[in-house]
Amino acid sequence: MMKKHTWLKYSWLMVTMLFGMIIFNTTTAQADTKEPHYVIATDTTYAPFEFQGQNGQYVGIDMDMLRAIAKKEHFTYKLVPIAFNSGAQGVLSGQFDAIIAGMTITPEREQVYDFGTPYYKTGIIAAVSPKSNITDLKQLRGKTVALKTGTGSAQYALSIQKKYGFKVTYFNDSNTMYNAVALGNAAAAFEDDPVMKYAIKNGVKLKIITQPANGGEYGFAVKKGQNKELLAKFNAGYAAIKKDGTYDKIVAKYLGSNESKFAGSAKENDSILGLLKQNKDQFISGVIKTLQLTVFGIIFATIFGVLIGVLAVVPNKFAYGLSSTIIYIFRGLPLLVLAFFIYIGLPSLTGTKIPAIVAGLITLTLNEGAYIAAFVAGGLKNVDAGQMEAARSLGLPYWKAMRKIIMPQGIKLMIPSFVNQFIITLKDTSILSAIGIIELTQTGTVIISRNMQGFRVWFIVALMYLIIITLLTFLAKWVDKKFSSN
Amino acid sequence: MGIKVKVTDLHKAYGDNEVLKGINLEVQENEVVVMIGPSGSGKSTFLRTLNKLENPTTGSIAIDGIDLTAKETNLNKVRENIGMVFQHFNLFPHLTVLENVTLAPVELGKISKEEAKTLGMQLLAQVGLADKADAKPTQLSGGQKQRVAIARALAMKPSIMLFDEPTSALDPEMVGEVLKVMRDLAQEGMTMIVVTHEMGFAKQVADRVVFFADGYIREEGTPEEVFGNPQDPRAKDFLNKVLNV
Ligand SMILES: Nc1ncnc2c1ncn2[C@@H]1O[C@H](COP(=O)(O)OP(=O)(O)OP(=O)(O)O)[C@@H](O)[C@H]1O
Ligand SMILES: [Mg+2]
Repeated sequence: MMKKHTWLKYSWLMVTMLFGMIIFNTTTAQADTKEPHYVIATDTTYAPFEFQGQNGQYVGIDMDMLRAIAKKEHFTYKLVPIAFNSGAQGVLSGQFDAIIAGMTITPEREQVYDFGTPYYKTGIIAAVSPKSNITDLKQLRGKTVALKTGTGSAQYALSIQKKYGFKVTYFNDSNTMYNAVALGNAAAAFEDDPVMKYAIKNGVKLKIITQPANGGEYGFAVKKGQNKELLAKFNAGYAAIKKDGTYDKIVAKYLGSNESKFAGSAKENDSILGLLKQNKDQFISGVIKTLQLTVFGIIFATIFGVLIGVLAVVPNKFAYGLSSTIIYIFRGLPLLVLAFFIYIGLPSLTGTKIPAIVAGLITLTLNEGAYIAAFVAGGLKNVDAGQMEAARSLGLPYWKAMRKIIMPQGIKLMIPSFVNQFIITLKDTSILSAIGIIELTQTGTVIISRNMQGFRVWFIVALMYLIIITLLTFLAKWVDKKFSSN
Repeated sequence: MGIKVKVTDLHKAYGDNEVLKGINLEVQENEVVVMIGPSGSGKSTFLRTLNKLENPTTGSIAIDGIDLTAKETNLNKVRENIGMVFQHFNLFPHLTVLENVTLAPVELGKISKEEAKTLGMQLLAQVGLADKADAKPTQLSGGQKQRVAIARALAMKPSIMLFDEPTSALDPEMVGEVLKVMRDLAQEGMTMIVVTHEMGFAKQVADRVVFFADGYIREEGTPEEVFGNPQDPRAKDFLNKVLNV
């Protein structure tokens, strides 16, 4: 048993290394420069501070400012766009060195973050659908208000919730929140003044009903007591671009009345084909990421699942216990929780950063692998016990009998479950958008945050998933046929 | 010549249920031993301890002088030498008839694939199924399946064969073809231990008949002795029932 154990450990190591070798080719670009290199998180969609431009590059006030400061202060950085909350937590766990994401400086946050010089003054405003007859916060009594998770605006809204008697609901990105209001699912939304105004300017159908309140300031944040050098560089750079007028130019570019305009051309936005053409590169890269996650996820999960599933039928109590514990834990945890735990939680325990795609693949391997293990174990147990006895009575060693006699019969019983699990894996990759992997779903979110074409973009995304699933099912059927024929 | 099987004071319990309560048995080379006895008396359990599909609780088993209960004994090696035929055939359904027969010697590196094919065809011919070599087990009748199972066991060139009710799952008209193969084997000098209810076979082929009841061997002797003049009351009773249906 001991031997098998080390062997398992060894193959797990191999699998982890493989992840790194095959999928990862992005992070080493800056390796030989002398300039300090940082990993900086930002929100995925928080126009006008950060959002993806048409060529796929991140633009916005925060982004342009960061680029200018890095140039002035001679440092390089890898930008990680990720849901705001995950990014903020990732800084605390050491996953990221800093975050710049229109982050309001609050006393609570100052307990755990060190903020740079405040770079933008803001206030919080509320908006309703243009069709709504609400003109005052007082009319919100009993109604539902949309908030963005973890933001200063949300906090402000909660502070006045008692007074105005509204209910709240949460969203993870601004655009979905706006849509909830525009479609009437929520009565109003609270958001930072520049963000809301930029969105309205770009075609979001909302009507502002309040003056900016509870003025706050945005800051660049590092974990308290850490990355002092980076913080100093930010402050110095900020002072410099403020002085030479770069800062004002950047702000004017996004909020100045005549320069701010819709990021896409209105004509192209009108048709699905136009949208596809216009965002071709982004969709392609989203599909590729989704396929990578799916294919490698399936491969690793299958290896892991078969190993763990076989352990469950080996006549050894320790192996059985290990296997059922692993199945119990990883089948029981929601995929999202597991992903956050691995991406954000694990680095705070171990001190090593894990790239999002690796965290995503580990998540899929463990979660889908646990499901696979469960039906592999079930399938193997369903093979008549007489088969193993007959094989052993001929003198075949246990593992040889397992491989040659039990597995081929068991796997045949499992094929429908495998096909099913592969389809589930493909769909589950979309959950990984939450840890900042820009796969197909996140690509949709990102494109919509720029062009506000919710329905059409989701239609395209849905169609793409269906196409991939169809291809995957064909492939599975073909493999099944090959299997059954011999 | 030599002693092939020597079982001494063998006990086997499943939890509180003691199924074998001290079995002693010696089987000589070339001997055919038929075991009879009521259902649940421990015949299968005993047979299965002989190749360690079942672990005895206490007692010793020696096959060709090799102690099966010793830790250092390589069970796989011992099993290569003991063929076993099961009531429900247990053919490998994902393999062809020929592959069923050749799998073990090839996988265990006994002979090359080519040699295995020749041997396999020869064994299938011996059990009268050369024409079924490429069929799948599901395409065979019960009697054919059991004959393939015998050929499969023979492919390892065992020196002992164990049969656990090889004809009980067969339709009556197929029993004969399987018994014929077994009779041929016995005539060639194979050492055999056979659990069966086929009293005709026992009378004709067995050198010795062993009667099991309640986890003990209650009666033992030549077929003439056991069938003609049983001493144990349980044996009398049992034989009365099976012989006078
Ligand atoms: N794996 C097991 N676990 C627990 N009890 C068992 C097991 N296998 C057999 N037994 C019990 O051992 C006893 C003897 O069974 P065994 O199969 O050896 O009888 P048998 O003489 O072969 O009967 P039959 O003629 O019906 O085949 C029975 O009471 C049975 O319930
Ligand atoms: Mg039995």
